[in-house]
Amino acid sequence: MTLKQCYDLLEGDYEDVLGRMRKEALVEKFALKFLNDSSYESLQQGLAAKDQQIAFRAAHTIKGVAQNLGFTKLYETSGHLADVLRREWSEEAFPLARQVEAAYQKTIAAIKAYQEGCAHEKP
Amino acid sequence: MLYKSGEVCYDNADFGEEKEVMFLPGAKKVKYKILIADDSEMNRSILADMLENEYEILEAKNGKQALEVIQTYQHDLSLVLLDIVMPEMDGFEVLNEMNCRGYISDIPVIMISAESSASHVERAYELGVVDFISRPFDALIVRRRVDNTILLYAKQKKLMDLAARQIYEKERQSRLMIEILSHVVEFRNCESGLHIRRVRLLTELLLRHMTKRPDGYRFSLQEIATISTASALHDIGKIAIPETILNKPGRLTDAEFAVMQTHTQIGAKMLDDLPVHQEDPLIKAAYEICRWHHERYDGGGYPDKLKGDEIPISAQIVALADVYDALTSDRVYKKAIPHKMAVQMIQDGKCGIFNPMLISCFMEVADTLKVQLENDAVAEDPHRLRGVVEELLKREELPASARTLRLLEHERMKYDFIAALTGDIQFEYTTVPSMLTLSYTAANRLGLPEVIMDPEHNENLLAFVPQREREQFFAVFQSTTPARPEAKYDCMLGLEGNERWYHVIFRTIWSEEGPQWCTGLIGKAIDIHDARMKTNNLEHMASIDQLTGLLNHASAKKQVNARMAEHPAGNYALAIFDLDHFKLANDTFGHQFGDQVLIQTAQQLCRCIRSDDIAARVGGDEYLLFLEYKTDPEPTIRRIFSSLGGKYKDFLVAVSFGVALTETVGADYDALFQAADKALYTVKRNGGGHYRFFDGVMHDTFSVISPIEEAVERGKK
Repeated sequence: MTLKQCYDLLEGDYEDVLGRMRKEALVEKFALKFLNDSSYESLQQGLAAKDQQIAFRAAHTIKGVAQNLGFTKLYETSGHLADVLRREWSEEAFPLARQVEAAYQKTIAAIKAYQEGCAHEKP
Repeated sequence: MLYKSGEVCYDNADFGEEKEVMFLPGAKKVKYKILIADDSEMNRSILADMLENEYEILEAKNGKQALEVIQTYQHDLSLVLLDIVMPEMDGFEVLNEMNCRGYISDIPVIMISAESSASHVERAYELGVVDFISRPFDALIVRRRVDNTILLYAKQKKLMDLAARQIYEKERQSRLMIEILSHVVEFRNCESGLHIRRVRLLTELLLRHMTKRPDGYRFSLQEIATISTASALHDIGKIAIPETILNKPGRLTDAEFAVMQTHTQIGAKMLDDLPVHQEDPLIKAAYEICRWHHERYDGGGYPDKLKGDEIPISAQIVALADVYDALTSDRVYKKAIPHKMAVQMIQDGKCGIFNPMLISCFMEVADTLKVQLENDAVAEDPHRLRGVVEELLKREELPASARTLRLLEHERMKYDFIAALTGDIQFEYTTVPSMLTLSYTAANRLGLPEVIMDPEHNENLLAFVPQREREQFFAVFQSTTPARPEAKYDCMLGLEGNERWYHVIFRTIWSEEGPQWCTGLIGKAIDIHDARMKTNNLEHMASIDQLTGLLNHASAKKQVNARMAEHPAGNYALAIFDLDHFKLANDTFGHQFGDQVLIQTAQQLCRCIRSDDIAARVGGDEYLLFLEYKTDPEPTIRRIFSSLGGKYKDFLVAVSFGVALTETVGADYDALFQAADKALYTVKRNGGGHYRFFDGVMHDTFSVISPIEEAVERGKK
């Protein structure tokens, strides 16, 4: 699998991110690094505790990271969630959070698939 | 706090003159430091990746950490990249703090954010942000913005530095000129040469103090500088007074006095006649001072008989300073009067009538006055330099000149470097705000931040300082006073199970004015663990027998003597015993086997004696035992005797005991030892395997004690 295919799979914009970061190696490095990013866990904790502050910050962070990495779908969904939670707690968060979750799982799955693909190519 | 350093150095071609200022070795290679403050590690590392080739990157994961880094590096930071949404403290709060602490004008801040609503942007610009970088990051744009901003600020800093240096030079030269000029007068006057300087210093002190008083005049720092500089010129009119009058030892006649008085008008006229600079505040102040520094508050002075506040305050102050210095100095017509008496005379109105507010002001500074004047006379005018620096700092809008800050930074580098060499933990603490600063290397080694706010409640720090050491520290800390601010003591610091010995030296710092209170402390903790352990170990090594771990003969003797000296009334038994046929064991089974027998015997001995009995190995296979008894030592000796011996492998170990009692031979170690030795010899002569008390009749001079050296040598192998 190529990195471009990975981006297609997670509904991201590969050309955009490559244009900004200039090097494929950098894009790959940070995409793989995203697997270790803990913001999504913070988001889940914030949502479970209905803690507006934590949930908003986490959604906002995911949005920022996703935007930087060109994960368009994740960027959009987390952006909506962050907007809803910006001022105060809102029950509207839950349906939006499910969209974030779907996008997040898709993103992680695509990156993992790409990572495994790499592992097979370079035994 | 992550700490990365870029490899590539900034091209310095644009800063040719900078070299003069940056005197640090290798300073040509400047790596500008950039702080990236963002709560997302991903976002920080993306930015770091884009910038780390050119810059040294510091990172902070929240606003609080960002402020700590800013506080630590201050103007050494070339740029802050600041996120808005962060935990602990958000970007706007950081900006607010940077404004309060005055960093914002020197350290450029670029906001990194996807928050692009107009209100956000406007608020950020109002708080002093210079630029925005919005997400998603574009490597080229990030680099350009950062480069441009840093370049711009570096140039501004360079200009500030140049300006500061010029002001410094100008101030220095004009002071020098004034000093030379006023010395011309002093020279003719045959005065000490210190009069002008003292009057100026005293004038400045009075001005400063007056400004602090609620009822006093308010002088700006600039006015204080101008008036105290002008005070140096108060007697320039004396240049026109004939030397015969000026230096007449006796009392002046009325006519002579009238001539003398004209120095005020002459001085004023000299200034008035200056073709240029009439509007200069310095000239105006000097005019007032020259003309009216002999007026009296009650109108009884000269030349214009001004009264009360008709006399300019500058002239009033210089008049008082002049009187005080005249009283306390030798003159052709009089001897110096002691400080206290001079103060009293001025207070009592014996040396002129002054503004009562001025007198009370004078009384308030009188105590520190003497010390300050003396210090000034001894040290080569540090005061003047300080004055200049202060003026520089208060000049215009020049916020603490870049040069000063670089000097500070240089000091900090030296401090860190020396600390790194010695491995000491250097620390500095301020009470308000409660903040502990550790030297860079120490912080790194301990895994603590360099700056710790509220250290009393910082768990990471407290983990290094056990409770008992905290108590000791506070006790030592409480014992310091402004007169004795230094303290030192030894203590154990470190994480539990990893404590090490440190020698702690510190000095408390006290406020300079008013009721003294402790503003903080500085000090260092020197790691003395290895040295201390070595000493302990050597002491221990020197006192034991290496093969068996029992005491050796010398230390046993020492301890026995100490015990008998401590309780001379006690009854003691000293026993010497050896192993029967030990030579046979060595010869038959080898020396290693023999050593094992010796070790086993020592272990058996340790098991059957009390903790305060003294046991030692005093010869090849001879042991010594020293114990206290109440009435009859025999049962104890029998018990111990029968616990020893038995089989070691195939060798049957049997012991022979010789015992001497203090009741019989007295409390003398050598006598006890010899007696026990003799008793043992008797037992051996009768075939061994027994114990026997010395009874005073065994007069044989033979000894059973064999040399230990050989056994020790073997024990080492």
